[in-house]
Amino acid sequence: MFYRLSGIKHTRYVSARALWPIPADRRILYVLGALALLAPVLLSDLYLTSYMLPWLIWTAAALSLTLLMGMAGQLHFGFAAVLAIGAYTSIHLTRAGVPFELALLGAGLSSAVIGSAFGAAALRVKGLYLVMATLSMQYLVEWVIVNVPAISGGAQATLNTPDVRFLFVPLQSDASLYYMALLWTVVVTLLLLNIRRSSFGRALVAVRDKDFAAAVIGVNPVRFKLLAFFVSSFLGGVTGAILAFCYYQAVTPEQFGFNVSIQLVAMVLVGGLGSVIGAYLGAGFVLLLPILLTNLLAGAAQIDWLPISFNLIAHIPLMVYGALIIGVILFEPLGLAKIYDNLRKYFLVWPFRHTQS
Amino acid sequence: MKQFTQYLAGLAGAAALGLGGMAQAQEKEPIHFALLQDFTAVYTFVSTEYNQGQQDYLRMINETGGIDGHPIEPIIRDTANEPQRGLEAYNRARREGAVLVDFFSTPVSRAAVNRVLEDEMVMITALHGRGDASDGETFPYVFPMMATYWSQAAVLAHYIEEHQGGLEGKRIALVHIDSPFGREPLPVLETLAERKGFELRNFPYPSPGTEQSATWSDVRRYRPDHVIIWGAGGGQQVSVREAIRNGIRQEDILSVVWLAETDARNVGSRYMKGVKRFEAVGTGTDHDVLQDIIQYVIEPGLGSGPMENVGSSYYNIGVATMAVSVQAARLALDEFGAPLTGDKLRRGFEMIDGFDARGLMPPVTLTHKDHQGGGYGRVSQWNGAAWEPVTDWFHAYQDIVWEEIEQDAAAFREGR
Repeated sequence: MFYRLSGIKHTRYVSARALWPIPADRRILYVLGALALLAPVLLSDLYLTSYMLPWLIWTAAALSLTLLMGMAGQLHFGFAAVLAIGAYTSIHLTRAGVPFELALLGAGLSSAVIGSAFGAAALRVKGLYLVMATLSMQYLVEWVIVNVPAISGGAQATLNTPDVRFLFVPLQSDASLYYMALLWTVVVTLLLLNIRRSSFGRALVAVRDKDFAAAVIGVNPVRFKLLAFFVSSFLGGVTGAILAFCYYQAVTPEQFGFNVSIQLVAMVLVGGLGSVIGAYLGAGFVLLLPILLTNLLAGAAQIDWLPISFNLIAHIPLMVYGALIIGVILFEPLGLAKIYDNLRKYFLVWPFRHTQS
Repeated sequence: MKQFTQYLAGLAGAAALGLGGMAQAQEKEPIHFALLQDFTAVYTFVSTEYNQGQQDYLRMINETGGIDGHPIEPIIRDTANEPQRGLEAYNRARREGAVLVDFFSTPVSRAAVNRVLEDEMVMITALHGRGDASDGETFPYVFPMMATYWSQAAVLAHYIEEHQGGLEGKRIALVHIDSPFGREPLPVLETLAERKGFELRNFPYPSPGTEQSATWSDVRRYRPDHVIIWGAGGGQQVSVREAIRNGIRQEDILSVVWLAETDARNVGSRYMKGVKRFEAVGTGTDHDVLQDIIQYVIEPGLGSGPMENVGSSYYNIGVATMAVSVQAARLALDEFGAPLTGDKLRRGFEMIDGFDARGLMPPVTLTHKDHQGGGYGRVSQWNGAAWEPVTDWFHAYQDIVWEEIEQDAAAFREGR
């Protein structure tokens, strides 16, 4: 009923193959899109700059990784290094006077080149061995940044982002930074949705499911593994630049440490491997839930509901968070996206339990 | 003037106590200090004791009448050393009216520098954060307030020069964690090596420092006269243990400020006897401020943590940071009146002149230009049971330190 299917007849391939063939999905999207556009008006600056903005940017990062891990099946445990390369490239390019638009491209390209160089290991190794190869990327990139002052920015190892404009709009106010991040996240989202229904996407899925089977049906695994690394690292690099310019505004190596790589993998896994909406949900879960739990407990402690030491209060969110991750994996191993999918499927045929077929 | 204001403050405090303590303190608007620190990730080796010291000191001030009647309400949150969580907590605290923020985490403070400068919020960065923030003209709202890592390296080098047979011709090894923090003393020590004619070599070990044996066999081959260890947390214990195992005399091991009682216990109290460290704040409960805390907070059972932490190295550092901040707030309120804002508090900090928290720390003087407060410290030695000072408070080679500060501050100005 909510997702009424009766009376919707696709008479052309174009409408049947649309990104959202069901009107109800489109309507939800219009509402969400309108809310996202109005966020600077609706939300206070605290929620805009501390919740929405990082959530969108991390979603873009998780989406970039989803392309590689979810669609192409190549594990990557050094994605923070990809973001770092993008962030540092864009800062150094803009400092050298390159316009921001081109610096974003440069960030993507440098990440893509270095990322695919490490991805070349994927041609030889799979599974846990690939994890090791990408882990080495994380540490090598971090080491280079820390040990080359020309990259990290001298003894303080901090680089501030210069003031820039994007398409003649100065990126300074909270709203402009937010819209920049929103624009990029929407671009990545649409790109991923479209890749999934293109021959490129199907080739990636074939390589993911069995690479030599893919070779038998004429998909070149070498080419598509490398392409997956290239595209994913390109998106990751631009996201790193957006992260630096729109959110941190000052970049240090610690912002791209190993723990961030793990967080990104967790976002993809908790959200649901290979799912686009899963990246949104996973990023929200991993990024925002610890903050919400911390504030909740601190609030409870302030009104004397919890007469325990501040040290314990700081650690309870970790326990709850860990329990929630285990809970999600036990309850729905396919991730948060699957929970959403189950709900949607339920309402597709509601008030009936299931369709006839 | 200083003595007079302190006298006034004491008088106000006594009067407040006489007139019914808290009742009067509650009448005036509270002052919010945001202590948004890392209790769960990297800085756990220090943050619990440090924050306990801060809370107990603030409690003691509140119990004795607040700052001219204004109670101080700390806002305490865990940031897990993650910049995005720190920034969220910061934005929230700012909305709740905080005038001072202490992240006690280098990555978070570095990410917040631009924002505090814009928002006119005082950020204290004692023993962490950017060393070049000592330049108050470039960083008006950032207060390192204690010796920066550059000053610490200078103090340690000066100690070798004065008390351990001079620097000339010596071989000094800097064994440090391979991170920006570990590399921080290098420029100052390199300049000193050139000026004083000693040989310096740096030996980095990989983060987090639980495994250093390869590094130390290199150090052993180098046969250094003195070893300066530069790390934090668990890595420090490994460094001390490996140094001794590789034949370096305890007396020749000097450490950055991050070496405390816990480390000595873990290495072995007797085993570590003779190891020296830089000290920014006195240790133990044998100080007037600590006695007050014990009297007004610990004994009535109002302490915020385990009693055995009271008086530990990191606890006292926490006490000292809040002592300076409260003093600044007091000066600002006396001079500019309530309500306290970030800008007033900043000017309060810049009025601090020779403040030593009644003997707990070296006299700190903050000015419009110098937010480091002179770079004073002393060297103390583990005597098998406690840290015992072996020098008086002093500072050294501030010309070299300030060269570094100004060079980096200029780079910051250009980068903006």
